[in-house]
Amino acid sequence: MTIEASRLFDVGLMTLLVLCALAVVRTKDLLAAAIIFSAYSLVMCLVWDHRGAPDVAMTEAAVGAGVTTVLFLLAIGKTVRREK
Amino acid sequence: MKKALIIALLAVAAIPLLAAMASMPRFGSPEQPAYTHVASRYLQKGAEEAGADNVVTGVILNYRGFDTNGEVTVIFTACAATAAVLVTSGSRKKEKPGEATVPLSPVVGYVVRLLAPFIALFAFYVVLFGEVSPGGGFQGGTIFAALIIILSVVAGRNVAERVLPARVRPWLQIAGPLSFIAVGTLGAVLTGSYLGFPHARGLLATAMLMGIELGIGIGGATVFASIFWRLGDEP
Repeated sequence: MTIEASRLFDVGLMTLLVLCALAVVRTKDLLAAAIIFSAYSLVMCLVWDHRGAPDVAMTEAAVGAGVTTVLFLLAIGKTVRREK
Repeated sequence: MKKALIIALLAVAAIPLLAAMASMPRFGSPEQPAYTHVASRYLQKGAEEAGADNVVTGVILNYRGFDTNGEVTVIFTACAATAAVLVTSGSRKKEKPGEATVPLSPVVGYVVRLLAPFIALFAFYVVLFGEVSPGGGFQGGTIFAALIIILSVVAGRNVAERVLPARVRPWLQIAGPLSFIAVGTLGAVLTGSYLGFPHARGLLATAMLMGIELGIGIGGATVFASIFWRLGDEP
């Protein structure tokens, strides 16, 4: 991959990250927020891998996108879904 | 009014941060701290000194082993804290063994059952090959925990809990810190310092690293699965 393409990829991922972060904070539906946060983790995973850190990328995918989301969903199931 | 105040405060806080960033060496410059401190030694000598081809594993388990020892203890503490806060009766809704806890498409159930052995194999591969390729105990353990969680959803908890029997579960939960203490003490006997690894690259050093990786993997997987199960219990 040329340097320009690599940089363009980075810029695209960073834009997605910022959009996801804003969406997580702004949405009032906690279930939607949990899913968007999972998408954020997946994008972050791509960033780590692209930056040459496959170990961290693996952790991000398994913990950030997987287990944390499941725990969030369980917590929402025990409480309420809408933010006041 | 309140919003304007917050924005003003953030703007004030941003000034020193941006100034500090401007004074940092440029991206890729040889002056960067990443190239001037210990990192270069890790990259040059890490493979032979730390006994692991994957430099990340060498740093985590050997150079910074004491850090990781504390982190593993933190993970166990999280499990203990969950158990202390979420006091449950231990009972839950009656379910038939082998049956999904939620309404589920047969496709999902079939695919999960089909993939389960391969996911388990991949998890153990990631744990055991963390020494030579990306991955390691924590990553592999989390993949295994994800498998147990999806099995609890698809096949019911009775089936999933058989993988981590309740009788030995407390010992599995603390497997991470325990393996660290065991290997650390072995290192103390062999080299005179806690978590010291024999310098000569050999079977013993690799076996010690793998022991820790396995401990972290089993401990992490059990902790995550236990937290998941406890959250699912009836209060």
